[in-house]
Amino acid sequence: MIEITDGEISLPEMIERARSRDAGAVVTFLGTVRDDGIVALDVEAFHDAALSELEAIEKEAVSRFGLRAVEVIHRTGTLAVGESIVAIVCSAGHRDEAFSGCRYIIEELKKRAPLWKKERGERGERWVGLGGAK
Amino acid sequence: MRIVVIAFANFREILGKERQLQAIEGATVGELLKELAASSQAFREAAFDDTGALRDYVLLMINRKRIDPSQELSRQLQDGDELAIFPPLAGG
Repeated sequence: MIEITDGEISLPEMIERARSRDAGAVVTFLGTVRDDGIVALDVEAFHDAALSELEAIEKEAVSRFGLRAVEVIHRTGTLAVGESIVAIVCSAGHRDEAFSGCRYIIEELKKRAPLWKKERGERGERWVGLGGAK
Repeated sequence: MRIVVIAFANFREILGKERQLQAIEGATVGELLKELAASSQAFREAAFDDTGALRDYVLLMINRKRIDPSQELSRQLQDGDELAIFPPLAGG
């Protein structure tokens, strides 16, 4: 399942969906809101385009690493420190493929999926990745 | 012709999430961006530098496909095209 949602992420449910008799490894990645002195993080998506990109990344990962199942859920909306932003679950016959597939998906997601984060702090707010730009 | 402009992140804050523009037949991506800049000083400052060149961090999609702003500002838009404007991606 590939999903972009303003709801919560249930990692146990994702793991259960990814399990199978022929998978000997299930690797999970959970991205969370780090306390960089922020109060909250706003996550915004170009929903349909991001979903299409994540589905393309999933297909690539399955093809490259022979994954048995892939689960990706990315949240949108306002998140507090410690909350989950993104969860990825990959199952494969062996751990090497599952680790590599999971790593591939998060790295490609960060490069290609149209998603943005805005940090809200006590002294102001900034879009992540904009540097000094407005 | 009618062009749908959608914007995200800092550009959404300036332009709104979606707006429809009437453009002359054959209008290019660059011309449409200049038109937006003429109607909004905040957009002009965010998207263009002092020389009038599009800032490097401005990313564009036409009909959900990324285009290269350094090569394709002269690309002609078609009636009904959707132009998306956004800053560098920061998911995950």
